[in-house]
Amino acid sequence: MAEELPGPQCLIVADADVLIRNALAEYLRHCGYKVFEAATSDEVIIALEEGAMKIDALLADVELSGQFNVFELRIWVRDRYPDVEIVLAGNIDSAAKAAGHLCDEGPHLQRPYDPESVAAHIKRLLAATRR
Amino acid sequence: MDAQTILVVEDEILIRFILADSLRDIGYQVLEAGDGAEGLNILSSGQAVDLIVTDVRMPGEVDGMELTRRSKLLVPGRPVIVCSAHLFKSESFPADEFLAKPYSIAALADVIARLIGDPWQKSSQAHSA
Repeated sequence: MAEELPGPQCLIVADADVLIRNALAEYLRHCGYKVFEAATSDEVIIALEEGAMKIDALLADVELSGQFNVFELRIWVRDRYPDVEIVLAGNIDSAAKAAGHLCDEGPHLQRPYDPESVAAHIKRLLAATRR
Repeated sequence: MDAQTILVVEDEILIRFILADSLRDIGYQVLEAGDGAEGLNILSSGQAVDLIVTDVRMPGEVDGMELTRRSKLLVPGRPVIVCSAHLFKSESFPADEFLAKPYSIAALADVIARLIGDPWQKSSQAHSA
């Protein structure tokens, strides 16, 4: 009997800046993950509480706003969803690096491109909107 | 050739996720925005967007109507589909299509395919060119 393959793992990318969030989420989708994009801690909670999929990891910006700040959110998630891996990122480079580590861990064990390229892409997008 | 890119603007995260995920399953590239201001931010970042699907009522200063007007100023020919539970159609409102909530993904996909084609058509055109 053929071994059943696991479905794609599911992540939440939480960042108030849509350009950073989009780019990180797209990179992780190329790695094979299903990705919720959340702009606030409130949206993270909705995705965990009401989303139909089991969440495997949360990649969150340290300046995330909402009902909880990111450190309160980490306590809330650890208490209710101890299986969810929580990764906090303080800037674009560390967020891209964290996304790269998540790609290395699965589900496809393959990076579509370097995390440094993700960070460079985000910085180009941000620069374009500030011109 | 890359698939067409659709910008989905919806403030309810679960609806946004289902919409975006369904359109990705069909084969489109999808960018997600949680409100009108985020949608405008994406449009002004220079990323290619072929079509916009937007809710009307969203928090903040930029609702779906304002987003539609601003998009039409930037790229007049880019189609915009407006979705609302409180639907009205006005001659002065520049959206290309209106969908009344609740609507099915199939109905939305039909409208999108009519406006910009489906991803398979674009792919086969690229191969035959």
